[in-house]
Amino acid sequence: MRPMNAIDLTQVGAGKEVRVSRLDCAPGTCQRLREMGFCENALVKKIRGGADLVCWVCGTRVALSARLARQILVETVDGNS
Amino acid sequence: MSQNQPKRWVAVVGNPNAGKSTLFNALTGLRQRVANYPGVTVEKRTGTAYTLHGEAMELIDLPGMYSLSPRSPDEEIARKVLRGESPGIPKPDAILCVVDASNLERNLFLVTQVMELGIPVLVALNMVDMAEARGIRLKPEELSRRMGVKFIPTQAHRGKGLVELRTALGQKITDPGERRWVMPPQLAAAVGQIAAAWRDALPAEQGAEGRALDLLAGFTEGPEGARKLAVAWRERFREQAFDWPAAVVQARYSYLRDMLGQAGVGHAQGHVTWTDRIDALVLNPVAGWGVLAGILMLLFTSIFSIAAYPMEWIDAGFSAAGEWVTASLPAGMFRELLVDGVLAGVGGVVIFLPQILILFLFLGLLEDSGYLARAAFLLDRVMHRVGLSGKSFIPLLSSYACAIPGIMATRTVEDPKDRLTTILVAPLMSCSARIPVYTTLIAAAVPAVVMPAWGKAGAMLGLYALGTFTAFGLAWLFRRKMLGGGSPPLILELPPYRRPSFRTVLLRMWERAVIFIRRAGTVILALSVLLWFLCNFPHRAEDPSERLAKSFAGQLGHALEPVIRPLGFDWRIGIGLVASLAAREVFVSTMSIVYHVGGEEEGLIAAMRHATWPDGSLTYTPVTCLALLVFYVYALQCLSTVAVARRETGGWKWPAFMMAYLTGLAYAGAWLVQTVGRMVSG
Repeated sequence: MRPMNAIDLTQVGAGKEVRVSRLDCAPGTCQRLREMGFCENALVKKIRGGADLVCWVCGTRVALSARLARQILVETVDGNS
Repeated sequence: MSQNQPKRWVAVVGNPNAGKSTLFNALTGLRQRVANYPGVTVEKRTGTAYTLHGEAMELIDLPGMYSLSPRSPDEEIARKVLRGESPGIPKPDAILCVVDASNLERNLFLVTQVMELGIPVLVALNMVDMAEARGIRLKPEELSRRMGVKFIPTQAHRGKGLVELRTALGQKITDPGERRWVMPPQLAAAVGQIAAAWRDALPAEQGAEGRALDLLAGFTEGPEGARKLAVAWRERFREQAFDWPAAVVQARYSYLRDMLGQAGVGHAQGHVTWTDRIDALVLNPVAGWGVLAGILMLLFTSIFSIAAYPMEWIDAGFSAAGEWVTASLPAGMFRELLVDGVLAGVGGVVIFLPQILILFLFLGLLEDSGYLARAAFLLDRVMHRVGLSGKSFIPLLSSYACAIPGIMATRTVEDPKDRLTTILVAPLMSCSARIPVYTTLIAAAVPAVVMPAWGKAGAMLGLYALGTFTAFGLAWLFRRKMLGGGSPPLILELPPYRRPSFRTVLLRMWERAVIFIRRAGTVILALSVLLWFLCNFPHRAEDPSERLAKSFAGQLGHALEPVIRPLGFDWRIGIGLVASLAAREVFVSTMSIVYHVGGEEEGLIAAMRHATWPDGSLTYTPVTCLALLVFYVYALQCLSTVAVARRETGGWKWPAFMMAYLTGLAYAGAWLVQTVGRMVSG
């Protein structure tokens, strides 16, 4: 179940930096996301929004489908809202 | 080193886009061999490199991967080679990890896994120039000290650091290094027990901890005691709701973040770069499609116009060879076999080499520059509607040149159902071998005076569109309705734009040319000889038309006529359909023999326009030509594609299904055209 104050990656504005709080996807997909740098507590910067989006994580740009981004729960970090 | 002493094997591993293949090419040059791993069509690229003392070693370039967890055929193969479980390939003596210096955290994640294999590791800190340009402070000695493996800075695309790398490879590192990241306590207990059981059973094997983690994940088999322990621990973790795979990834990343921070290695700043500026255009929902359309238009224009010149030269070369053989040898069966069988058959296929090379030049440049990943990203939404992911775009694009490289390119598609669907629909993308058939039939259907050149180009485009839209429709049917389940969501790295390495692209083209010519000299040669035999025996009449009519192929054509008559096709077309199973373009040369018009295109078109049924009605009405065109858009008239599909899917079931559904579709499409055409024309 989604925590009350959690938002997903699609709800984050472009240019904002957030911290991954939870992954809500199938185990194999979760593991691939973690290996690509989207592990819990990792800092992620959203570069582009839209139907599919691009994030900056672990020093590289990673494109995600919106469907997957909705399964990545994040929390804002200080200085972002 | 004595001649009898086996060469050392060094596996080259790394993330995609880390410059692994460029470094491999720089170390091995043209001393490369490409083959397939036993039983699968994942390409195995090996090459010989030399240490500074002239000692030869075999390098094996493994497919790019983000981790050792196998999720695609590529990653499965890489893992097996590193574990020494791939038949015919010795376990590597050392592993060369290529890491992108500007993206250390993510690239070193794989290194932490590789270090657990119990094999000595050397790290090439690649693209250091780009990393420094992005403000990253690199400290190779500090990294070596902290990680316990040697780091060597390189710039593979400029050939820098290769001497140091060759020196280090010649020093025969023996220390496999040790794990530095800290396991969560409950996991450490489990891994300790399983690894101890493994060591008890197989004391000579290195890397027991890595094996224990693999066993826990269910990636490998192992000694019974260790296996039982792994099952028990897995069950215990499940009861405790302990997500141990997540904990392992977090622990590795946590270690790497701390280690890089302590080593004083700076981070790349996520500020706006050229890549972001270009991305703003090419990923724009409107402009991005314009850029993609422009690139595809340039690609197709090059395939169909620039390639025409070398294709003419190849054609002239084979014609000259044919004339030379005709003049040099006495008339007889052997001369006919050489000219009409071997040279005509092999030449008819080799002629497409320039188109295939241009396709691979474009694909290489687009991939090396970083654009191909953007195209896949852009197309993901469209592909997703038919149940596929953007990763199927490249194989389908390749299939416009030839379904064989297209089907082979599906190995990068992770999801097995996506991969199978892509293989099943790949032959619907009109390949270059259909061009001669389309051109001839369009010309036969409508006289040039009636249809201007742009009209013919439009008709050609229509045929391409028919194949493409049918492919998407069927992909939806197969993926969503037949195979079931949703397509996996897209996770795709978008590498920074880089200047392509022409050396790498040209080497790749060279490899393609060698593979293609080898195929033409073996499979196509054998099929051409067989086809010549079928077209010339058992009847040896003087008149080629009569000989063909009474040949095995002719008899087959007659036998086929009742089946194909509803489509408006006579026995002569039946011969063309049978003969073009070897290669579609053979239809044109076979029709030239059937109508006894030599190799001239105009003569054939005129003969086809005047051909009649026994009752005097025209055989090639515009409707019949259209029916035949639709038949060729859909039919799987290519045995080589069937053979590749069998290798790729690991059996005859799917190629048989592919053959059946495409033949059925071709028949139904041609019948529909003929029936509707007759109704309309009254």
